Amino acid sequence: MNLTSAKKDLDDEELLQLLERARVNDSKAIGILCSHLYSKIYRFIYYRVNAVEDAEDLTSEVCFRVIKSIQNQKGSFYAWIFRIASNLINDHYRRRSVRSNVEPAGDLIEEMIDKGNKQNELLEQKELRQSLKKLTDEQQEVVVLKFIEGYETDEIADMLGKSSGAIRAIQFRALTALRNNFIKKEVD
Amino acid sequence: MEQDIELLLDNCINEMRNGKSIDECLAKYSQSATGGAGQLRPLLQLVQQLEILPKPEPAPEAISGTLINIGHHIAQRSMTSEKLTAVEKLQKKSSIFNIIRRPKIAWAFSAAFLFLVVLFSAATISANSVPGDILYPLKLATEKVKFLLTFNSEKKAELRLTFSDKRLQEMIAVFQQSGKLDTTLLKEMLDEAKLALEETKIPSDTASVFVTKLSHVNAYQKDVLEKIRPQVNLSSRKIVDEAINMCDMRGRWMRRMMNEENEISPDSSAPDSTGSPQQMPRSKQKSNRWQWGPGCDWMK
Repeated sequence: MNLTSAKKDLDDEELLQLLERARVNDSKAIGILCSHLYSKIYRFIYYRVNAVEDAEDLTSEVCFRVIKSIQNQKGSFYAWIFRIASNLINDHYRRRSVRSNVEPAGDLIEEMIDKGNKQNELLEQKELRQSLKKLTDEQQEVVVLKFIEGYETDEIADMLGKSSGAIRAIQFRALTALRNNFIKKEVD
Repeated sequence: MEQDIELLLDNCINEMRNGKSIDECLAKYSQSATGGAGQLRPLLQLVQQLEILPKPEPAPEAISGTLINIGHHIAQRSMTSEKLTAVEKLQKKSSIFNIIRRPKIAWAFSAAFLFLVVLFSAATISANSVPGDILYPLKLATEKVKFLLTFNSEKKAELRLTFSDKRLQEMIAVFQQSGKLDTTLLKEMLDEAKLALEETKIPSDTASVFVTKLSHVNAYQKDVLEKIRPQVNLSSRKIVDEAINMCDMRGRWMRRMMNEENEISPDSSAPDSTGSPQQMPRSKQKSNRWQWGPGCDWMK
Protein backbone atom coordinates (compact mmCIF):
# COMPACT_ATOMS: atom_id res chain seq x y z
CA MET A 1 0.00 0.00 0.00
CA ASN A 2 1.38 3.31 -1.03
CA LEU A 3 -0.46 5.73 1.21
CA THR A 4 2.26 8.31 1.68
CA SER A 5 3.90 8.24 -1.70
CA ALA A 6 2.82 11.65 -2.87
CA LYS A 7 4.43 14.21 -0.66
CA LYS A 8 5.35 17.79 -1.10
CA ASP A 9 9.04 17.96 -1.79
CA LEU A 10 9.34 21.66 -0.98
CA ASP A 11 8.65 22.95 2.50
CA ASP A 12 6.72 26.17 3.02
CA GLU A 13 9.81 28.27 3.65
CA GLU A 14 11.54 27.02 0.50
CA LEU A 15 8.39 27.63 -1.50
CA LEU A 16 8.06 31.18 -0.15
CA GLN A 17 11.67 31.94 -1.04
CA LEU A 18 11.20 30.58 -4.53
CA LEU A 19 8.02 32.60 -4.98
CA GLU A 20 9.74 35.80 -3.85
CA ARG A 21 12.54 35.24 -6.34
CA ALA A 22 10.15 34.21 -9.12
CA ARG A 23 8.16 37.41 -8.59
CA VAL A 24 11.22 39.46 -9.47
CA ASN A 25 11.82 37.46 -12.67
CA ASP A 26 14.59 35.27 -11.25
CA SER A 27 14.74 32.74 -14.08
CA LYS A 28 16.50 30.11 -11.95
CA ALA A 29 13.78 30.26 -9.29
CA ILE A 30 11.09 30.15 -11.97
CA GLY A 31 12.77 27.06 -13.45
CA ILE A 32 12.86 25.24 -10.08
CA LEU A 33 9.30 26.28 -9.31
CA CYS A 34 8.02 25.08 -12.69
CA SER A 35 9.81 21.74 -12.41
CA HIS A 36 8.31 21.26 -8.95
CA LEU A 37 4.83 22.30 -9.98
CA TYR A 38 4.74 20.47 -13.27
CA SER A 39 4.45 16.96 -11.78
CA LYS A 40 1.82 17.99 -9.25
CA ILE A 41 -0.30 19.78 -11.80
CA TYR A 42 0.19 16.99 -14.32
CA ARG A 43 -1.09 14.33 -11.91
CA PHE A 44 -4.00 16.55 -10.93
CA ILE A 45 -4.95 17.03 -14.58
CA TYR A 46 -4.09 13.52 -15.80
CA TYR A 47 -6.89 11.90 -13.79
CA ARG A 48 -9.42 14.35 -15.14
CA VAL A 49 -8.69 14.36 -18.87
CA ASN A 50 -8.62 11.69 -21.52
CA ALA A 51 -5.13 11.70 -22.94
CA VAL A 52 -1.53 12.17 -21.91
CA GLU A 53 -1.12 14.82 -24.62
CA ASP A 54 -4.05 16.80 -23.26
CA ALA A 55 -2.66 16.50 -19.75
CA GLU A 56 0.74 17.76 -20.92
CA ASP A 57 -0.72 20.63 -22.90
CA LEU A 58 -2.95 21.72 -20.05
CA THR A 59 -0.13 21.38 -17.53
CA SER A 60 2.11 23.56 -19.70
CA GLU A 61 -0.67 26.11 -19.98
CA VAL A 62 -1.16 26.13 -16.20
CA CYS A 63 2.59 26.67 -15.65
CA PHE A 64 2.52 29.46 -18.18
CA ARG A 65 -0.40 31.18 -16.52
CA VAL A 66 1.16 30.75 -13.09
CA ILE A 67 4.40 32.42 -14.20
CA LYS A 68 2.52 35.14 -16.06
CA SER A 69 0.46 36.13 -13.04
CA ILE A 70 2.78 35.21 -10.21
CA GLN A 71 3.48 38.86 -9.41
CA ASN A 72 -0.20 39.43 -8.60
CA GLN A 73 -0.75 36.18 -6.68
CA LYS A 74 -2.09 36.46 -3.13
CA GLY A 75 -3.25 33.90 -0.57
CA SER A 76 -2.59 30.16 -0.69
CA PHE A 77 -0.28 29.41 -3.61
CA TYR A 78 -1.38 25.79 -4.12
CA ALA A 79 -5.04 26.76 -3.90
CA TRP A 80 -4.36 29.32 -6.60
CA ILE A 81 -2.59 26.94 -8.99
CA PHE A 82 -5.13 24.15 -8.53
CA ARG A 83 -7.88 26.69 -9.17
CA ILE A 84 -6.16 27.70 -12.41
CA ALA A 85 -5.82 24.02 -13.33
CA SER A 86 -9.50 23.32 -12.56
CA ASN A 87 -10.62 26.28 -14.64
CA LEU A 88 -8.48 25.15 -17.54
CA ILE A 89 -9.82 21.60 -17.34
CA ASN A 90 -13.37 22.94 -17.39
CA ASP A 91 -12.52 25.13 -20.40
CA HIS A 92 -10.96 22.13 -22.09
CA TYR A 93 -14.13 20.08 -21.70
CA ARG A 94 -16.33 22.98 -22.67
CA ARG A 95 -14.37 23.38 -25.88
CA ARG A 96 -14.56 19.72 -26.80
CA SER A 97 -17.95 18.88 -25.26
CA VAL A 98 -16.85 15.29 -24.86
CA ARG A 99 -16.64 14.99 -21.15
CA SER A 100 -19.20 12.35 -20.24
CA ASN A 101 -19.39 10.24 -23.38
CA VAL A 102 -15.81 9.53 -24.32
CA GLU A 103 -14.06 6.62 -22.73
CA PRO A 104 -10.85 7.56 -21.02
CA ALA A 105 -7.79 6.60 -22.96
CA GLY A 106 -6.03 5.11 -19.96
CA ASP A 107 -2.64 5.50 -21.59
CA LEU A 108 -0.78 4.91 -18.36
CA ILE A 109 -2.72 1.79 -17.43
CA GLU A 110 -2.25 0.29 -20.88
CA GLU A 111 1.40 1.13 -20.76
CA MET A 112 1.69 -0.68 -17.44
CA ILE A 113 -0.17 -3.69 -18.81
CA ASP A 114 2.41 -3.82 -21.63
CA LYS A 115 5.14 -3.88 -19.04
CA GLY A 116 3.69 -7.11 -17.57
CA ASN A 117 1.98 -5.91 -14.43
CA LYS A 118 -0.84 -7.87 -12.85
CA GLN A 119 -3.56 -7.62 -15.45
CA ASN A 120 -6.58 -7.99 -13.12
CA GLU A 121 -5.33 -5.35 -10.74
CA LEU A 122 -4.59 -2.98 -13.56
CA LEU A 123 -7.97 -3.52 -15.14
CA GLU A 124 -9.53 -2.69 -11.79
CA GLN A 125 -7.46 0.46 -11.76
CA LYS A 126 -8.68 1.30 -15.24
CA GLU A 127 -12.28 0.88 -14.11
CA LEU A 128 -11.58 2.96 -11.05
CA ARG A 129 -10.16 5.68 -13.20
CA GLN A 130 -13.20 5.59 -15.43
CA SER A 131 -15.47 5.80 -12.40
CA LEU A 132 -13.44 8.71 -11.09
CA LYS A 133 -14.33 10.70 -14.17
CA LYS A 134 -18.01 10.30 -13.42
CA LEU A 135 -17.68 12.20 -10.17
CA THR A 136 -18.46 15.88 -9.93
CA ASP A 137 -15.59 18.33 -10.46
CA GLU A 138 -15.43 19.06 -6.77
CA GLN A 139 -15.34 15.36 -5.84
CA GLN A 140 -12.67 14.65 -8.46
CA GLU A 141 -10.54 17.48 -7.12
CA VAL A 142 -10.77 16.19 -3.56
CA VAL A 143 -10.09 12.56 -4.54
CA VAL A 144 -7.08 13.44 -6.70
CA LEU A 145 -5.62 15.82 -4.12
CA LYS A 146 -6.18 13.41 -1.28
CA PHE A 147 -5.31 10.03 -2.77
CA ILE A 148 -3.07 10.84 -5.74
CA GLU A 149 -1.28 13.93 -4.48
CA GLY A 150 -1.36 12.75 -0.86
CA TYR A 151 -2.48 15.98 0.81
CA GLU A 152 -4.12 16.11 4.23
CA THR A 153 -7.76 17.17 4.61
CA ASP A 154 -6.80 20.52 6.17
CA GLU A 155 -4.42 21.25 3.31
CA ILE A 156 -7.09 20.47 0.73
CA ALA A 157 -9.54 22.67 2.62
CA ASP A 158 -7.04 25.51 2.43
CA MET A 159 -6.40 24.93 -1.27
CA LEU A 160 -10.05 24.79 -2.25
CA GLY A 161 -11.14 27.52 0.11
CA LYS A 162 -13.51 25.29 2.05
CA SER A 163 -13.78 24.07 5.63
CA SER A 164 -12.27 20.74 6.69
CA GLY A 165 -15.79 19.48 7.45
CA ALA A 166 -16.88 20.32 3.90
CA ILE A 167 -13.88 18.45 2.47
CA ARG A 168 -14.64 15.42 4.66
CA ALA A 169 -18.24 15.50 3.40
CA ILE A 170 -17.13 15.72 -0.24
CA GLN A 171 -14.63 12.93 0.38
CA PHE A 172 -17.30 10.69 1.89
CA ARG A 173 -19.76 11.37 -0.94
CA ALA A 174 -17.03 10.85 -3.57
CA LEU A 175 -15.98 7.50 -2.12
CA THR A 176 -19.62 6.39 -1.79
CA ALA A 177 -20.30 7.38 -5.40
CA LEU A 178 -17.20 5.54 -6.59
CA ARG A 179 -18.23 2.44 -4.64
CA ASN A 180 -21.74 2.57 -6.10
CA ASN A 181 -20.32 2.89 -9.61
CA PHE A 182 -18.16 -0.15 -8.97
CA ILE A 183 -21.06 -2.20 -7.67
CA LYS A 184 -23.17 -1.15 -10.64
CA LYS A 185 -20.46 -2.28 -13.05
CA GLU A 186 -20.11 -5.61 -11.25
CA VAL A 187 -23.86 -6.17 -11.50
CA ASP A 188 -23.76 -5.23 -15.19
CA MET B 1 -24.75 10.68 12.35
CA GLU B 2 -23.51 11.38 8.80
CA GLN B 3 -21.02 13.91 10.13
CA ASP B 4 -19.70 11.25 12.52
CA ILE B 5 -19.15 8.77 9.73
CA GLU B 6 -17.41 11.40 7.57
CA LEU B 7 -15.07 12.16 10.47
CA LEU B 8 -14.55 8.45 11.19
CA LEU B 9 -13.73 7.81 7.55
CA ASP B 10 -11.19 10.62 7.56
CA ASN B 11 -9.66 9.43 10.82
CA CYS B 12 -9.43 5.86 9.48
CA ILE B 13 -7.73 7.12 6.29
CA ASN B 14 -5.18 8.96 8.45
CA GLU B 15 -4.63 5.84 10.58
CA MET B 16 -4.11 3.79 7.43
CA ARG B 17 -1.58 6.35 6.22
CA ASN B 18 0.26 5.75 9.46
CA GLY B 19 0.45 2.05 8.68
CA LYS B 20 -2.63 0.55 10.32
CA SER B 21 -4.87 -2.00 8.61
CA ILE B 22 -8.58 -1.55 7.90
CA ASP B 23 -9.47 -4.02 10.69
CA GLU B 24 -7.33 -2.16 13.23
CA CYS B 25 -8.92 1.14 12.30
CA LEU B 26 -12.43 -0.25 12.43
CA ALA B 27 -11.70 -1.95 15.77
CA LYS B 28 -10.46 1.32 17.20
CA TYR B 29 -13.56 3.17 16.13
CA SER B 30 -16.03 0.25 16.51
CA GLN B 31 -17.79 1.80 19.53
CA SER B 32 -18.29 5.21 17.95
CA ALA B 33 -19.01 3.73 14.55
CA THR B 34 -22.44 2.71 15.82
CA GLY B 35 -22.93 0.11 13.21
CA GLY B 36 -21.22 2.16 10.54
CA ALA B 37 -18.30 -0.26 10.32
CA GLY B 38 -20.12 -2.13 7.61
CA GLN B 39 -20.48 1.08 5.67
CA LEU B 40 -16.88 2.16 6.27
CA ARG B 41 -15.12 -1.07 5.30
CA PRO B 42 -15.91 -0.96 1.54
CA LEU B 43 -15.01 2.72 1.45
CA LEU B 44 -11.67 2.04 3.14
CA GLN B 45 -11.03 -0.82 0.70
CA LEU B 46 -11.69 1.63 -2.11
CA VAL B 47 -9.27 4.09 -0.52
CA GLN B 48 -6.62 1.35 -0.60
CA GLN B 49 -7.24 0.90 -4.30
CA LEU B 50 -7.14 4.63 -4.95
CA GLU B 51 -3.88 4.99 -3.07
CA ILE B 52 -2.18 2.46 -5.33
CA LEU B 53 -3.37 4.09 -8.50
CA PRO B 54 -0.31 4.83 -10.60
CA LYS B 55 1.25 8.20 -9.93
CA PRO B 56 1.89 9.35 -13.45
CA GLU B 57 5.07 11.29 -14.01
CA PRO B 58 5.23 13.69 -16.91
CA ALA B 59 7.64 13.05 -19.76
CA PRO B 60 10.92 14.92 -19.24
CA GLU B 61 10.54 16.31 -22.78
CA ALA B 62 7.21 17.86 -21.81
CA ILE B 63 8.78 19.53 -18.75
CA SER B 64 11.79 20.79 -20.68
CA GLY B 65 9.57 22.05 -23.51
CA THR B 66 7.48 23.98 -21.02
CA LEU B 67 10.57 25.37 -19.32
CA ILE B 68 11.97 26.53 -22.67
CA ASN B 69 8.70 28.28 -23.52
CA ILE B 70 8.58 29.90 -20.12
CA GLY B 71 12.22 30.98 -20.54
CA HIS B 72 11.29 32.70 -23.80
CA HIS B 73 8.36 34.33 -22.08
CA ILE B 74 10.56 35.61 -19.22
CA ALA B 75 13.12 36.95 -21.70
CA GLN B 76 10.38 38.73 -23.62
CA ARG B 77 8.91 40.10 -20.41
CA SER B 78 12.30 41.41 -19.31
CA MET B 79 12.82 43.07 -22.68
CA THR B 80 9.35 44.56 -22.55
CA SER B 81 9.87 45.88 -19.03
CA GLU B 82 13.22 47.38 -20.09
CA LYS B 83 11.54 48.99 -23.06
CA LEU B 84 8.76 50.25 -20.83
CA THR B 85 11.28 51.73 -18.42
CA ALA B 86 13.00 53.48 -21.31
CA VAL B 87 9.66 54.74 -22.61
CA GLU B 88 8.70 55.94 -19.13
CA LYS B 89 11.97 57.82 -18.87
CA LEU B 90 11.36 59.35 -22.27
CA GLN B 91 7.86 60.30 -21.28
CA LYS B 92 9.17 61.96 -18.12
CA LYS B 93 11.73 63.87 -20.15
CA SER B 94 9.22 64.79 -22.79
CA SER B 95 6.73 65.93 -20.16
CA ILE B 96 9.20 68.67 -19.21
CA PHE B 97 9.23 69.88 -22.80
CA ASN B 98 5.54 69.28 -23.40
CA ILE B 99 4.72 72.87 -22.49
CA ILE B 100 7.28 74.13 -24.99
CA ARG B 101 5.86 71.82 -27.64
CA ARG B 102 2.49 73.57 -27.55
CA PRO B 103 2.23 75.75 -30.67
CA LYS B 104 1.39 79.01 -28.92
CA ILE B 105 4.06 78.62 -26.27
CA ALA B 106 6.58 77.47 -28.86
CA TRP B 107 5.77 80.54 -30.92
CA ALA B 108 6.14 82.79 -27.86
CA PHE B 109 9.48 81.16 -27.00
CA SER B 110 10.70 81.57 -30.58
CA ALA B 111 9.58 85.18 -30.70
CA ALA B 112 11.21 85.94 -27.35
CA PHE B 113 14.40 84.23 -28.45
CA LEU B 114 14.41 86.14 -31.76
CA PHE B 115 13.73 89.39 -29.95
CA LEU B 116 16.62 88.77 -27.57
CA VAL B 117 18.94 87.94 -30.47
CA VAL B 118 17.94 91.11 -32.35
CA LEU B 119 18.23 93.19 -29.19
CA PHE B 120 21.66 91.81 -28.37
CA SER B 121 22.87 92.37 -31.95
CA ALA B 122 21.50 95.90 -32.02
CA ALA B 123 23.02 96.66 -28.62
CA THR B 124 26.40 95.39 -29.85
CA ILE B 125 26.19 97.41 -33.08
CA SER B 126 24.97 100.49 -31.21
CA ALA B 127 28.12 100.54 -29.07
CA ASN B 128 29.85 102.64 -31.74
CA SER B 129 26.91 104.93 -32.47
CA VAL B 130 27.01 108.71 -31.91
CA PRO B 131 24.21 111.25 -31.27
CA GLY B 132 22.04 111.49 -34.37
CA ASP B 133 22.37 107.79 -35.20
CA ILE B 134 19.22 105.62 -35.08
CA LEU B 135 20.78 103.25 -32.59
CA TYR B 136 22.12 105.94 -30.25
CA PRO B 137 19.03 105.93 -27.95
CA LEU B 138 19.46 102.12 -27.70
CA LYS B 139 23.08 102.66 -26.67
CA LEU B 140 21.98 105.02 -23.88
CA ALA B 141 19.21 102.63 -22.84
CA THR B 142 21.68 99.73 -22.74
CA GLU B 143 23.97 101.80 -20.54
CA LYS B 144 21.12 102.62 -18.18
CA VAL B 145 20.08 98.97 -17.96
CA LYS B 146 23.66 97.93 -17.39
CA PHE B 147 23.98 100.53 -14.63
CA LEU B 148 20.69 99.46 -13.00
CA LEU B 149 21.73 95.83 -13.07
CA THR B 150 25.03 96.65 -11.35
CA PHE B 151 24.77 96.45 -7.58
CA ASN B 152 28.40 96.73 -6.54
CA SER B 153 29.42 100.31 -5.61
CA GLU B 154 32.89 99.99 -7.04
CA LYS B 155 31.61 98.60 -10.33
CA LYS B 156 29.00 101.34 -10.52
CA ALA B 157 31.73 103.94 -10.14
CA GLU B 158 33.76 102.16 -12.83
CA LEU B 159 30.72 102.24 -15.11
CA ARG B 160 30.30 105.96 -14.56
CA LEU B 161 33.90 106.44 -15.59
CA THR B 162 33.34 104.32 -18.68
CA PHE B 163 30.25 106.34 -19.59
CA SER B 164 32.21 109.57 -19.12
CA ASP B 165 34.91 108.25 -21.46
CA LYS B 166 32.29 107.18 -24.01
CA ARG B 167 30.76 110.67 -24.00
CA LEU B 168 34.23 112.09 -24.67
CA GLN B 169 34.74 109.70 -27.61
CA GLU B 170 31.30 110.58 -28.96
CA MET B 171 32.07 114.29 -28.60
CA ILE B 172 35.30 113.81 -30.57
CA ALA B 173 33.50 111.78 -33.24
CA VAL B 174 30.76 114.40 -33.61
CA PHE B 175 33.37 117.17 -33.72
CA GLN B 176 35.33 115.34 -36.43
CA GLN B 177 32.19 114.73 -38.45
CA SER B 178 30.57 118.16 -38.16
CA GLY B 179 33.31 120.45 -36.88
CA LYS B 180 30.97 121.59 -34.11
CA LEU B 181 31.35 121.00 -30.40
CA ASP B 182 28.44 119.13 -28.79
CA THR B 183 28.16 120.91 -25.44
CA THR B 184 25.57 118.38 -24.21
CA LEU B 185 28.10 115.59 -24.57
CA LEU B 186 30.72 117.75 -22.88
CA LYS B 187 28.37 118.36 -19.95
CA GLU B 188 27.49 114.66 -19.72
CA MET B 189 31.16 113.74 -19.82
CA LEU B 190 31.95 115.98 -16.86
CA ASP B 191 28.78 114.99 -15.01
CA GLU B 192 29.47 111.27 -15.35
CA ALA B 193 32.95 111.80 -13.97
CA LYS B 194 31.50 113.73 -11.06
CA LEU B 195 28.82 111.13 -10.43
CA ALA B 196 31.44 108.41 -10.53
CA LEU B 197 32.70 109.68 -7.22
CA GLU B 198 29.48 111.10 -5.78
CA GLU B 199 26.93 108.42 -6.39
CA THR B 200 28.89 105.56 -5.03
CA LYS B 201 30.25 104.63 -1.66
CA ILE B 202 33.57 103.10 -2.42
CA PRO B 203 35.29 101.15 0.36
CA SER B 204 38.16 103.13 1.85
CA ASP B 205 40.77 100.50 0.91
CA THR B 206 40.04 100.83 -2.82
CA ALA B 207 39.07 104.51 -2.77
CA SER B 208 42.60 105.80 -3.38
CA VAL B 209 43.01 103.45 -6.36
CA PHE B 210 39.75 104.64 -7.83
CA VAL B 211 40.61 108.32 -7.27
CA THR B 212 43.92 107.73 -9.05
CA LYS B 213 42.06 106.22 -11.97
CA LEU B 214 39.59 109.09 -11.98
CA SER B 215 42.49 111.50 -11.87
CA HIS B 216 43.95 109.93 -15.01
CA VAL B 217 40.60 110.09 -16.79
CA ASN B 218 40.26 113.72 -15.74
CA ALA B 219 43.76 114.52 -17.05
CA TYR B 220 43.01 112.77 -20.34
CA GLN B 221 39.76 114.65 -20.77
CA LYS B 222 41.59 117.93 -20.07
CA ASP B 223 44.23 117.05 -22.71
CA VAL B 224 41.57 116.25 -25.30
CA LEU B 225 39.71 119.47 -24.55
CA GLU B 226 42.92 121.47 -24.85
CA LYS B 227 43.56 119.88 -28.26
CA ILE B 228 40.04 120.62 -29.43
CA ARG B 229 40.01 124.18 -28.09
CA PRO B 230 41.89 125.87 -30.97
CA GLN B 231 39.58 124.25 -33.53
CA VAL B 232 36.21 125.28 -32.07
CA ASN B 233 34.49 128.57 -32.75
CA LEU B 234 34.68 131.46 -30.32
CA SER B 235 31.35 130.87 -28.57
CA SER B 236 32.21 127.22 -27.91
CA ARG B 237 35.78 128.07 -26.97
CA LYS B 238 34.56 129.83 -23.82
CA ILE B 239 32.71 126.71 -22.74
CA VAL B 240 35.75 124.56 -23.49
CA ASP B 241 37.89 126.92 -21.44
CA GLU B 242 35.54 126.59 -18.50
CA ALA B 243 35.51 122.81 -18.87
CA ILE B 244 39.33 122.77 -19.00
CA ASN B 245 39.38 124.96 -15.95
CA MET B 246 37.05 122.57 -14.12
CA CYS B 247 39.15 119.57 -15.08
CA ASP B 248 42.19 121.43 -13.89
CA MET B 249 40.62 122.18 -10.51
CA ARG B 250 39.32 118.66 -10.12
CA GLY B 251 42.77 117.34 -10.89
CA ARG B 252 44.31 119.56 -8.25
CA TRP B 253 41.70 118.52 -5.72
CA MET B 254 42.26 114.86 -6.42
CA ARG B 255 46.02 115.15 -6.20
CA ARG B 256 45.73 116.96 -2.92
CA MET B 257 43.24 114.40 -1.65
CA MET B 258 45.51 111.53 -2.54
CA ASN B 259 48.48 113.17 -0.84
CA GLU B 260 46.71 114.35 2.27
CA GLU B 261 43.88 111.89 2.58
CA ASN B 262 44.36 111.32 6.26
CA GLU B 263 45.17 114.89 7.21
CA ILE B 264 42.96 117.17 5.17
CA SER B 265 39.29 117.34 5.64
CA PRO B 266 37.98 116.40 2.18
CA ASP B 267 34.88 118.54 2.52
CA SER B 268 36.86 121.67 3.11
CA SER B 269 38.95 120.88 0.03
CA ALA B 270 36.11 119.67 -2.23
CA PRO B 271 35.72 121.99 -5.17
CA ASP B 272 32.44 123.83 -5.72
CA SER B 273 30.85 124.54 -9.05
CA THR B 274 33.68 126.82 -9.93
CA GLY B 275 36.20 124.28 -8.75
CA SER B 276 36.97 125.94 -5.35
CA PRO B 277 36.66 123.88 -2.19
CA GLN B 278 33.23 123.96 -0.56
CA GLN B 279 32.72 125.21 2.96
CA MET B 280 30.55 122.86 4.96
CA PRO B 281 29.64 122.39 8.61
CA ARG B 282 31.88 119.87 10.34
CA SER B 283 28.94 117.56 11.04
CA LYS B 284 28.43 117.01 7.28
CA GLN B 285 32.08 116.85 6.38
CA LYS B 286 32.53 113.10 6.75
CA SER B 287 29.44 112.02 4.82
CA ASN B 288 30.24 114.34 1.93
CA ARG B 289 33.85 113.44 1.81
CA TRP B 290 33.79 112.82 -1.93
CA GLN B 291 31.47 115.71 -2.77
CA TRP B 292 32.55 117.60 -5.88
CA GLY B 293 29.82 120.18 -5.91
CA PRO B 294 27.03 120.71 -8.44
CA GLY B 295 29.11 119.74 -11.45
CA CYS B 296 28.29 121.22 -14.83
CA ASP B 297 25.28 123.35 -13.99
CA TRP B 298 27.09 126.32 -15.53
CA MET B 299 26.54 124.75 -18.98
CA LYS B 300 22.75 124.81 -18.80
